Amino acid sequence: MAENKNSKSSFWEGKKLQESIMSGILYIVALLGAVVFMIPLVWMVTSSLKPAIEIMKLPPKWIPIYDVRYEPARVVSKGAGVVAKIEKNSEQTLIYIEKPLERHEFSAGAEIKVKKGKKIAMGDLLAITADGEKTADSDGKVVKIEKTATGKVVLIKQSGEYVYDKVAMARGMVIKVAQGETIFPDKIIADMPKTGKLKFIENKDKTKTVMVLDEEGYMFFKRDLPRGSVANFKDETVVKSGDKIATMLPQFFNYVDAWQTAGTKGENFTKYTLNTLLITILNILGTIISSTLVAYGFARFKFPARDGLFMIMISTMMIPAQVTMIPTFIVFQKLGWIDSFLPLIVPSFFATSAFNIFLIRQFFMTIPYELDEAAKIDGCTYFQTFTMILMPLIKPALATVAIFSFVYSWNDFLTPLIYLNDSTKYTLALGLQTFTTMYGSYFNLMMAASTILLLPILLVFFFGQRFFIEGVATSGLKG
Amino acid sequence: MAENVKNYKKLNMTKIEAKWGYIFISPWIIGTSVFILFPVIASFILAFCSWDIVSPVQFVGFGNFIEIFTKDTNFWVSLWNTFYYTLFSVPLGIIGSIIVALLMNQKWKTVRLLRTIYYLPSVTAGVASSIIWMWLFNPYSGLINYFLGQLGIQGPMWLASETWAKPAFIIMSLWGVGGNMIIYLAGLQGIPRQLYEAADIDGAGSFDKFRYVTLPMLTPVIFFNLILSIVWSFQVFTQAYVMTGGTGSPGRSTLFYVLYLYQVAFKYHKMGYASALALVLFAIILIFTLIQFKFSKNWVYYESEMKK
Repeated sequence: MAENKNSKSSFWEGKKLQESIMSGILYIVALLGAVVFMIPLVWMVTSSLKPAIEIMKLPPKWIPIYDVRYEPARVVSKGAGVVAKIEKNSEQTLIYIEKPLERHEFSAGAEIKVKKGKKIAMGDLLAITADGEKTADSDGKVVKIEKTATGKVVLIKQSGEYVYDKVAMARGMVIKVAQGETIFPDKIIADMPKTGKLKFIENKDKTKTVMVLDEEGYMFFKRDLPRGSVANFKDETVVKSGDKIATMLPQFFNYVDAWQTAGTKGENFTKYTLNTLLITILNILGTIISSTLVAYGFARFKFPARDGLFMIMISTMMIPAQVTMIPTFIVFQKLGWIDSFLPLIVPSFFATSAFNIFLIRQFFMTIPYELDEAAKIDGCTYFQTFTMILMPLIKPALATVAIFSFVYSWNDFLTPLIYLNDSTKYTLALGLQTFTTMYGSYFNLMMAASTILLLPILLVFFFGQRFFIEGVATSGLKG
Repeated sequence: MAENVKNYKKLNMTKIEAKWGYIFISPWIIGTSVFILFPVIASFILAFCSWDIVSPVQFVGFGNFIEIFTKDTNFWVSLWNTFYYTLFSVPLGIIGSIIVALLMNQKWKTVRLLRTIYYLPSVTAGVASSIIWMWLFNPYSGLINYFLGQLGIQGPMWLASETWAKPAFIIMSLWGVGGNMIIYLAGLQGIPRQLYEAADIDGAGSFDKFRYVTLPMLTPVIFFNLILSIVWSFQVFTQAYVMTGGTGSPGRSTLFYVLYLYQVAFKYHKMGYASALALVLFAIILIFTLIQFKFSKNWVYYESEMKK
């Protein structure tokens, strides 16, 4: 008996353990999902703070702070040839490479048909390879047959006119070749010194340029720094390879740039923001006033055809907006309201959102009718009951409706697109779309502009998320 | 006598009440008549006319509809694109939002924060999120192909490919499952605890509980959500407009129905033809909704049936 009890309890424990492992796995899944869901918005904000030169670089960098290091680079020759001339001016060193050498590479299996020192003409057979016969490109003399790791190389010194290859580099570079030297691909032509002296220059547009100079004051390393960069060393400091010479901080100037460059007629985001604010605030007001009045009527009065009208209201939610779009447009056009804010504002004062009326009506239904009756006995008119007794009680529902109409109005794209033509009347959503078509390749500015559009939504969301969730819960379910 | 007066007073009161009722709902009556009823009727009339706003209206009978169904390849392409989009985004969206809602119905300490994170993208829908996704889908500098590359997969051209542009829109739509997630979450929290306790007594496992308690109790919400999701999905516009510059490119692969309707009405100013297109859309949505209502009896479970 005791044994039985024991085994039962361990079974119970086993099930509990299983459940908590399961819960742990689900938690990890939920966390990973949340990370994936956050990526687009986090990427938007991060990218909006990156300097233009770093914006396209992958792998992704999530913190928009970049070190500018002094990393010596070298100049390497691309082809074969002979150094004909080394020319120096105050800024640059120019190296002229004559290309008298024709270079043919063959795999190990190829049968070479020429010998060193042989004179050849264009079209002469050089070798037979797996792909067929290979011939010389020009007249000349075979100067070298070399064995390499993968096969053989035949070098032909061309007779005839020489071709110059001009390699330009900063004067401060250390030249590693001498005049008359024969060079081959990947030969180092010039190198940066391991150390050098720093020099910062302030440019007119408030950006900085950092340079590293050699002892004689010739520059060999140069990098433009965007605004908001800090130097890690003083001018004239001697730096060595790998030193962090400057740091590019988050580029808040991107927001200023995006804000000022929007628009085709010299208007900027200030105009768009004011337009959007005006439209949004009036929309919220109109929606709240008209929806509560109508919801009060549906919730608290008995009149013929009430339930029928209520059903009609609910079913208007199913009518796609496109069906009413064209005649409505024509009406507004006949009224001369095109290119004004009126088509974007006036409908909200006429309770056009069935969803909002429904939501507030549901809320009214939860308030006991005795309150209305008590108010009536105290001599309140219907309107007084509505404004003084009921309105304060449905505040949470009003907050929900206000937030929903804010988000709707702020994000709305199709209505402004149809009714607004003059770009000085654009809303932020419409302005952002135009901005994209103009600055499509400036991803940092585009992300900054997108953040500008989304920021108010995000703020309202974080402060009002209770109302979002309650609103959907009450309306979505009882429907 | 006294009773008569009382009755008269009562009658009078009902009349007054009715009068005030109408006064309070009058904004809606006016608004619906002007902005919904009249436009719907006008749409029906315009659909049988040819009109470019400037010249006089011309009655063309069924001409518009005949052209739509027999000659207009754009109509069929945009209808197909929209069906394709709906066929994937609606079921995947519903499954996704139910899964997320089930996860968010757990009793974890951070669950409120997680809910916020999942819900957030659905309120940012519009131009800004279209721009973000446009970059994420960029074949060379976008994050999606970068991550695919890390997994050893050569990512497709997405928005530049006729094959992959629509799937890109579907993936983007799934980012917004948080909006529906909240509806399902409310549905899950409305399921009485006793049902689960009864299932426990019967020795049901987690899967059985989901299959025989959670899912049936959720079907009314799924039904409601399915209808609205299809209505919304047929109206996909902003993303397509922003991400393709209003063209529906590449080719006609993202020319969705409403985008085409917009082009006809506001680019080519064929108001009659566009009205006919709008009516066809309305009819399609209506048919879909009616079919769903008809089949709903087979799978939607209403609690009230139990009480009979």
